[in-house]
Amino acid sequence: MLCKIAWGNVRRAGRDYLVYLLTLTLAVTVFYAFNTISIQVDIAGVTAQNDGMGELLGSIIAGLTVFLAVVMGFLMVYANNFIMKRRKKEFGLYQVLGMGRGQVSVIMALETLFVSGAALILGLILGLALSQLMVFFTASLFKTQISDFHFFFSLGAFMQTVGCLVAIFLVTLVFNLRVVRRARIVDLMSANRQNETVKTRNPWISAAIFVVGLGAIIVAYARLLHDGLPYDGQPEAMGAFFITTAMVVAGTILFFFGLAGFLLKALQSARGVYWRGLNMVTLRQLSAKVNTVSFSMAMIAMILFLAITSVTTGMSLADTMNNSVERGTPVDYTRCLVYWGPSVVDEMNADAAADDAGMRYAVADGPVDMMAASSSDVIDPGTGETHPFDLAAIAGDYMQVDTFDSTPRGASEPVVSLVDLCDAVDMPLPAGVDASNLSSLGLAVMTESNYNAYLRFRGMEEIDLGKSGYTITSDMGASVNDIYNAVLGQGVALEIGGRTLTPVQSRVPEDASTFQNAMMGMNAGTIVLPDDLVASLDLAPYYSYLMVNYADGISTEEGDAYIGEYRVYGDITNDAGESIASWGSEATRTTTYESTDSMNGLISYLAIYIGFVLVVACAAILTIQQLSGVADAGKNYRILAELGTRTGEIAHSVLVQQTVFFLFPLMVGVAHSACALSVIIKLVALFGGLTIGGTVGITGLIFVVAYGGYFCVTYLMSKGMVRDFVRTRVAA
Amino acid sequence: MPAFAQAPRPAHAAPGKLSQVQAQAPAAPVLEARHIEKVYGSRQNVTRALNDVSFTVERGEFLGIMGASGSGKSTLLNCVSTIDAVTSGEVLIGGVDVTRMKPAKLTRFRREQLGFIFQDSNLLDTLTARENIALPLTISRVPAKEVLRRVDEVAGRLGIHEILEKYPYQMSGGQQQRVAAARALVTEPTVIMADEPTGALDSKNARLLLESLETMNERLQATVLMVTHDSFAASYTHRVLFIRDGRIFTELRRGDSTRQAFFERIMEVVAMMGGEGSDAL
Repeated sequence: MLCKIAWGNVRRAGRDYLVYLLTLTLAVTVFYAFNTISIQVDIAGVTAQNDGMGELLGSIIAGLTVFLAVVMGFLMVYANNFIMKRRKKEFGLYQVLGMGRGQVSVIMALETLFVSGAALILGLILGLALSQLMVFFTASLFKTQISDFHFFFSLGAFMQTVGCLVAIFLVTLVFNLRVVRRARIVDLMSANRQNETVKTRNPWISAAIFVVGLGAIIVAYARLLHDGLPYDGQPEAMGAFFITTAMVVAGTILFFFGLAGFLLKALQSARGVYWRGLNMVTLRQLSAKVNTVSFSMAMIAMILFLAITSVTTGMSLADTMNNSVERGTPVDYTRCLVYWGPSVVDEMNADAAADDAGMRYAVADGPVDMMAASSSDVIDPGTGETHPFDLAAIAGDYMQVDTFDSTPRGASEPVVSLVDLCDAVDMPLPAGVDASNLSSLGLAVMTESNYNAYLRFRGMEEIDLGKSGYTITSDMGASVNDIYNAVLGQGVALEIGGRTLTPVQSRVPEDASTFQNAMMGMNAGTIVLPDDLVASLDLAPYYSYLMVNYADGISTEEGDAYIGEYRVYGDITNDAGESIASWGSEATRTTTYESTDSMNGLISYLAIYIGFVLVVACAAILTIQQLSGVADAGKNYRILAELGTRTGEIAHSVLVQQTVFFLFPLMVGVAHSACALSVIIKLVALFGGLTIGGTVGITGLIFVVAYGGYFCVTYLMSKGMVRDFVRTRVAA
Repeated sequence: MPAFAQAPRPAHAAPGKLSQVQAQAPAAPVLEARHIEKVYGSRQNVTRALNDVSFTVERGEFLGIMGASGSGKSTLLNCVSTIDAVTSGEVLIGGVDVTRMKPAKLTRFRREQLGFIFQDSNLLDTLTARENIALPLTISRVPAKEVLRRVDEVAGRLGIHEILEKYPYQMSGGQQQRVAAARALVTEPTVIMADEPTGALDSKNARLLLESLETMNERLQATVLMVTHDSFAASYTHRVLFIRDGRIFTELRRGDSTRQAFFERIMEVVAMMGGEGSDAL
């Protein structure tokens, strides 16, 4: 019997439950689909290429799932409150008719169970379908081929989904039972009345609040644009950034708090507009609602801001890597050697002094022959297969680039530094470096003959510095290169080692500045000087790069396989047996490409996932609020119809209201993002320029589909509700 | 009085004949209902809410329709006010048959020709009194200046100037009803339809509202059609139609008698209708 009532209720209250059902179904779908990621990457062939990726993604997504579950949980409680508010009277009636509270609770629980069950089944079907489709999406994100496509079902993801749903179910149940148990019958029966009270605020005060909020936002923007992000973690910068953040949060809340009052005041002064058609109804309806939902609108604006910013930044970073990877992989294999500087040597020796048997450290006299030094590596140590690493065996032509520390031995100041160059061309230090030690640190130095050898190796035209020429190489992209380009372009004369040098090139040779395989630019600035000048400066070696193309008889696979064998790096020592350097990163062209694709895929994946979930959550909250708003205003719409308003005009008023509710948080979110992104771009430009163009398209698509979809559903459902309200009176 | 019981159908309600009232009237009736019927339900279970009802309302008349719950009086008002459709018969308002109008045209007609006052004031809770009164005008796209002038004028006539900036929840029930009355009056409609306007009011506020309706009728020449089950309210009208079981049972004219005298005559008919009704049961 109770079961029958509950089932009847669900069917009758279909529209109210529809929002709940839709949101829950969507939650289950997204939940399941994204949790099958570890199987997806397998089928998409990502694991064949990159073993750890599946696991890495799986664990990150699993972590995010908890976050998602919390978001969805709140959402469901909210959607549920919307239904309960509407049905208090009904529960009161059951009790008046003599039904025990226990029985009413059972009805309630059964209803929730039916809807949750339906959502689970629907969501799983959609999730299954979506996860199959996502394999192709995953493959394209990670740029892999699908080797063996087959239908799959993930028990793990299924269990996780069911688990989360049960948790959500229990939470909503507890909330609902509390409503039924706590409330007095008289309150339940008069629940309708209670909902009708309209809170009104003095519009002048609201308008003032709005202006204050807007002002706070503008000041916060100005502060952010002026100060930038606190990348160096200095307490004052962090404090300033914290104040800016607090200002923008407070400003956003005040903005929405006063929005309705401001709109009301502004339009009331335009009499011809205000006293025309349903305009005043629309505005009053808006202000009545905004008063109660202003806080959630502010929250939604902030969440949308986070979503837009993170998605755009993430996808742009991925894009940047993609663009620079080709330039960043000039040869089949590169290896890098890092020499100890004087301060490191002192520190390490001080540590080593305590330990007699420990290694001693020294500053190298000159660059090490890396090809020869590579043979000190040992492959498969401690097994019968042990043998030295014979790089020469697979190497065809190869080239070693040596750079020097620009601070001469025994001196404390570099011969040329970024700060000097900035001063010379009267440009500010790029964002993100002005407080770091990069500014006081000098540029790296390399000899003309070494650079020309590199250019020959790359098949490029050589340069001639003569006695007093110089040039600067860098592949870091926009912000740093702008300074170098200005220096070269303006022909800035440098005073180094008692000689006045002038540039021989007018631009940084970006394509001839890469010394190692990497996803992004690694050469932050290397000045090329005449050989005799470098010799006279007495500079210590800084970095050495070995660039190797595989020998003709060695295929890329064979070469990569040999490099990839388990190997222990050898020590780099001088004749006295002191350590002078340490092996740095090594990379083949293939691994660089793959890690770029993987990184790209990973970032895009997470960005889309987070963005999608956040946007859906926001849109769902707005939908629920709007539908409950329309339901509350049903009486008003009926009166309007009785007064002779066409249904179309009422629907138009509803559309305007809902457009404001959906558009304003979005606009504020976009404005915040635009401001934040303009600062982030400056910071990220250090790592090689940020291109936002293409990624905005994808971000936009997610928004249009999710946000716009919810908006359309909301409006169509509201329109249906308005029709019903109008019809009930006029026809009955 | 037995005379009423013997004449359940007033002469003017007979088919085809012009009533005496019409003959005496200076102009054509503002509203004329001809043989209207309203049938609810399916074939097996038919309820005749209205059964061959005919009557007219003259310009400037204050007409009351009385009857017990379920007598069909509200159905009658809904039918003549175009809120509900009749099953058969004609309703002419200002000479136009509204039963044949298309919904879109009907909406416009209702907006321009009729004013409504309901039992619950039906004010928009988000609007102030001034905005509520202005609403029918803004919907009809009357220029803002004209809107505000007419709202002020009507509010002045009904003595509700001091509550114009208040919201419905800040007003008493009586004030709400007077605002609703002002809203019904502001468009200068052909007929004002009032459905149990005093139903939710205490006696003091009911009296104030009825006086407002009287003012509207006498000073502003508004034609008012009021449905009520309250004899006191009915005594403010010029003429009362008594409805029972979907038919016009009889009618009473106030003539030159005082309100008190008219009230007593209404009470007699009500008592007789009630008595007969219980006999029938």
